[in-house]
Order: sequence, then C-alpha cells, then structure tokens
Amino acid sequence: MRPPLHLDLLKEDERRSSSPIRLRVMMPLTALFLTTCVLVWWGLLFLRVHGQNQLVEELQQAVTSFTPSHTAVLELRAQEQEYHAMVHQLTLYRNSRNLFGQALSNLAEHVTENIQFTEMRIPPPSPPTVDPTRPSSGPTNTFELVALRIAGRTGGERPSEAVNTLLAALRTPAFTNLFRTAVIPKGAFRQDIARNPANHETLLFEITCDCVPRRFQ
Amino acid sequence: MKSAAVRVRFSPQSKPFTDVVGLELGAKYAQGVPAVRLQKKDGKTELVAAGFLDLPGELPQHSTQTGEAPVWHLPRPFQAQYAALAITSPLAFLRHASGHGDDAPENRQFAYRTVSRVIAPELPPLSAGIPEFQAEWAVRLLPEGHQPTACSLQVSPAAAINTFLTTPLFDSLSGTAVVLFVFSGHTSLAAFHESRLVLYREHPIGYGHLREAVSSQMRIDPALADSILEDTLIDPTPMIEPVLRALFRQVEISHDYLTRRRNCQTQNFFVCGLPAGAKYWTTIFSRMLNLTLVPFQPFEGIELAARKSSLPADFAANTPFLMTALGAARAVLEDV
Repeated sequence: MRPPLHLDLLKEDERRSSSPIRLRVMMPLTALFLTTCVLVWWGLLFLRVHGQNQLVEELQQAVTSFTPSHTAVLELRAQEQEYHAMVHQLTLYRNSRNLFGQALSNLAEHVTENIQFTEMRIPPPSPPTVDPTRPSSGPTNTFELVALRIAGRTGGERPSEAVNTLLAALRTPAFTNLFRTAVIPKGAFRQDIARNPANHETLLFEITCDCVPRRFQ
Repeated sequence: MKSAAVRVRFSPQSKPFTDVVGLELGAKYAQGVPAVRLQKKDGKTELVAAGFLDLPGELPQHSTQTGEAPVWHLPRPFQAQYAALAITSPLAFLRHASGHGDDAPENRQFAYRTVSRVIAPELPPLSAGIPEFQAEWAVRLLPEGHQPTACSLQVSPAAAINTFLTTPLFDSLSGTAVVLFVFSGHTSLAAFHESRLVLYREHPIGYGHLREAVSSQMRIDPALADSILEDTLIDPTPMIEPVLRALFRQVEISHDYLTRRRNCQTQNFFVCGLPAGAKYWTTIFSRMLNLTLVPFQPFEGIELAARKSSLPADFAANTPFLMTALGAARAVLEDV
C-alpha cells in the first residue's frame, strides 16, 4: 500500500492525550513523588545511622565505665578459682590419707619383748613429672605408692621366730586394710656388727610394708 | 535541541495509531457531522462505526466568530482513542505552490496555518492551509483527557485523496489515472502517474451546482434533486450537461496538460463523492473525453469489524458524504 498524502496541520503542542491520566502532569508528579520518597528514605537512613552511632557511643561509654568493675570481677573470679582449686586439692589430700593410727596401735600388741624398733619411716614418694608450662600446687599423679619401712633389732632366744611372728602379724586382717604386702627385703635380716663386731646375738631386721596407694580422686 | 528531545519524549503518541475516528468539520450536511471510525488489526483496516453525529457548533468563517468553542463528546461507538479532523471550508486551500509569494500568509486576510509537501521533484510542492482561527477552534472541540483527542488536522480535499491512495484498486493500477473527487461546492482533480500524484487542481463546480440546476429548472426543493438524478423516468441530462460542460472544459485542460506537458496518457478515469447521478456523469464525460468514467467506492477493501460495527441502515447511500472523514482517518492509520 502506498503511503497516504498526510498533510497534517496540527501543531505539536496541540496534540493531546486521550488518557485521563495526563503524562505531562503525571510525569513531574511521579518524579516529585519519587524524589520525595528517596529523600524520606535517605532521611530515615540518616536517622537510623545517627541512632546506631549514638547507641555505639553509649555502649562504648558503658563498656568503659564497666571495665574497672569487670576487671575486678575477673580478678575475683580468678582468685575464687584459685581458692577453689586449693580447696579441691586439700579435699583430695584428705580423701587420700592413709590412716596409720589404728595400725600402729595394733602393732604394739604384736611386738615381743626381744624386738626393738629403731626406725619407722615412710620414704618420700618419687617426685612427679611436672609440666613447666602448667605449674600446679597439688599432686599431678592420680595415685601415689606409699611404703612403710620398719627397722629394728632383736636378740635373745629365737630372734628369727620373733621377727617372723611380727611379719606374720602384719599380714593378718588387722593390718591388711592398710598394708597390702609385708616383706623382709633380701639381706635386710642380718647380724648387728656395726656397733659391736663381737656381738653375734643381736640381729637387725627391716620390714617393708607396701601400703594401699593413695588415690587423689 | 533539548526542548525538541523533551517534546518527543513526552509526546502522547509514540507508536502507530490503531484506532482513529475521522471527522469532517464544516461540511454543513443536514444529517450532521460525518464520522468514520477505523481500527487497524494485524495490518488490516476495519470499519468500526460510520455515520453522522449531531454535534453542536459550526466552523467559524471569520476570526471574530470564534468565541468559546463547544466541547464535543462523541457517542460510544465513535470514541476512538484519536481523531483525525478534516476541515471543509471555503477559506481552506490545497494547491500547488505557485512560487510567486501569493501563498505567503502575510498576503492573506487571516493568519494561515500551512504545510507543504514535495510530491515530485519536477513539480511545485503541494501546499495545504487553513485559517489559524479555524484550526484553533477545531482543536478545542476535543479536550484532553477524553476520547478522542485530535491527532491530525487536514484539509478536506487532501483527506479525500487518501480514500483513493489507500485502496487496493490504486495498487493494481499502472500508467496514469485521473480521479475526480466531487464535493458540494467544488470538484478536485487528482492525477496519478505510476502511483505518484503528479497534478492537483480544484474546479468550482460540485454536485451542489447540479442540485441547484435541477431544482431551479424543475422548480423543486434542492433536497429532492438527488431523487430526480437517481430517477430513471426523468432524464436530467439537459439540465446538468451545461453545468458539467464547464467542469469538463477544466478537466479537459488538465487532461491536455498531462498528455502534452507531462507525457502522461490517461488510462483510468474515476469519480468519487457523488451522492446521485453518477450514471449521467459517466455518460457525459465518457462522451466528451472518450474515456470511461468509473465510479469509485471509497469504502472498497475495508472490512467490517467483527462485533463492534455500528453502521446506520442508510450507510450505503451515504458513503459519498463520508468520503472525507474516511480519508482523514485512513491518512493517519496508514501513515507509518
């Protein structure tokens, strides 16, 4: 189809929209509305940022004001923990005590006249392996072997029998709640020649009693 | 440049028109204002509504008569999105610019709004114009925010030419074709060569003069003249031939101009816009010019819209009066 002969005499500014919504009115209004919305949004954003900054400042001031008391609380808590650890250690020591009193009382009944104790000693336990990076005031091992060394001399008639009787007595139920074993180490029953070489009637003996281990629990 | 860009951006119409009602202002038909609503769907033009509207106001003929223009609210079937207005006024003109300065607005009694189009490089541009006060009055008829609003303002002869330019018949023609667009007070002659408008002339004889001749000689009311021209019992040839002879002389001159000066031998001869008596025109012109004058139907090739068509019962009889409104609407719809 050929193009028509359209000799249009209408001016550009006379062209109108048939839509009730007038573009040239709505466009500036829409632009104004959008601009207002953006400004309000920016304002709200600014207020929120300002509020957040104020909150941060208040919190920082609060943190600053709480710092000394917080430090004091931390120190007190550390001190409390330290004391608590000490109490705990003491409790452990208390719970792991070996009560020798009753055993020693019972022992007197089994010591004959020809036996004289010269020494009763509990050797110190072997030192525990200590971590230098974590020093501790309490025991580092969970249990500790304890032994009682009884040294003495005997003489008179049948001194060996007296020592053996004592040894046997230490293995009776009256002592086994404390002593697990009671032995005379090899070479520990001998003549006392150190004080008087001529005296062959006095015998020295040693009895080693392994006690129930101390459990620090 | 900036204002032009803004104007383009805020222009109410950014895509081709698809729904236009053509209105002919100033025709002074007793039936009312001719209106034709067309829609374009899938590349095809459909007729939605056509008829005459009872609308207030008359086209002012002097700048002092403008006053407050009435506001037109078209009936629902004619409420297209846009309106193409065609001005029928003795003060409006469509002609080839002479180039002697006669067409300059300052040489006229009124301020004129004009537009020119170069239709052929070897021809003076075709110039159309209407008085500024008539243009402003017409534009104010259709206010903003209501359907329709004006999207085009044309002079009637230019609008009528589009009925022929946009028809399938025009595409099928080859060589030279001459078309007579008959109006009440004048007849426009448009000559096309190889689908290009090569000549336009206006002659001050229209079907109104034939009516007057018939009514005066038969002493009947002019409104009855058309029935005489359509009546087969009375031969009005002796009454109308003297009137048409003057028109024939003008057409003959134009025909000679085309043949001798433009080297265009007329092969097709059409007439459009005759409400009555077409057979007499055909007979007389065929005898005088030795060319067959074929009546051209302006609504040819336009389909009716499927559901929304609103056509009066006497639509077929009134198609000549709707020619200008149709052409105005088609000029907008087809101008892509």
